[in-house]
Amino acid sequence: MPGRLGQALVCVCLRLKYFNEQREMTRVTDDIIIRTVARVIIPFIQLYALYVIMHGHHSPGGGFQGGVILGASFILFLLTHGLEEAKTRMSEMKAGLFSSFGLLIYSGIGLLCLILGSNYLDYGKLSTILKVIPAQARSLGILGVEIGVGIAVMAVMFSVFFDISTGGILPEDEEDLGVNK
Amino acid sequence: MNIFLLLGMGLFILVFLCLYRAVFGPGVLNRIAGICAIGTKTLVILLLMGFIYNRVEMFIDISMVYALLNFIGTITAAKYLEIKGEV
Repeated sequence: MPGRLGQALVCVCLRLKYFNEQREMTRVTDDIIIRTVARVIIPFIQLYALYVIMHGHHSPGGGFQGGVILGASFILFLLTHGLEEAKTRMSEMKAGLFSSFGLLIYSGIGLLCLILGSNYLDYGKLSTILKVIPAQARSLGILGVEIGVGIAVMAVMFSVFFDISTGGILPEDEEDLGVNK
Repeated sequence: MNIFLLLGMGLFILVFLCLYRAVFGPGVLNRIAGICAIGTKTLVILLLMGFIYNRVEMFIDISMVYALLNFIGTITAAKYLEIKGEV
């Protein structure tokens, strides 16, 4: 128990020591070229991420890879446009909700197959409710699962970067903790 | 011998020159430039591999992701160094 307490104290001290440095990573960059390029390139990155997710079954990529690209676009936005503007697009609560929602799609499709009387994630049985042949049902089921995985991975990627770059302390918590900026 | 294979081998040797700059290079900026150049060369090598295996449409997806993550990584490293006051 004392060891665990000491570990926690060291963690808190390190966090306070490197706090300003971490916070600086999310400030608005003062370089107009970086900001403009990021603003132009971000929609194309997201479009490409959707392409990777949608064509996961006949080209390289899939849910996870597309989710990483989608998350990278949000990370680029957070790096270039600062914490405040990024929080209006994708707050930490929204990221948590999206990650849960993606997992819900994934496990929901899996459990739907289970309820319909076959194995977990055995999409062939979905043909009875989708009114298509089993092969098409398998393709649609995999697509649904990949969309779920993509949403979850995107939210988790953003959430991890958000937590690391703010040190887990959001600006509204600063008064409670007595951390001066 | 395939022309694409020859080109790829040439780029493979050039990667090591950039790696030398990334490992021993004086200063942080030289290292970042070296790593960025390695990323660009890797992208071209991936495309040449696509030509060798006759599956360009597949390798072009991978190389685009590689270019994208290389770009974001360089921006992140540059911003970190700017904060640390190394530049």
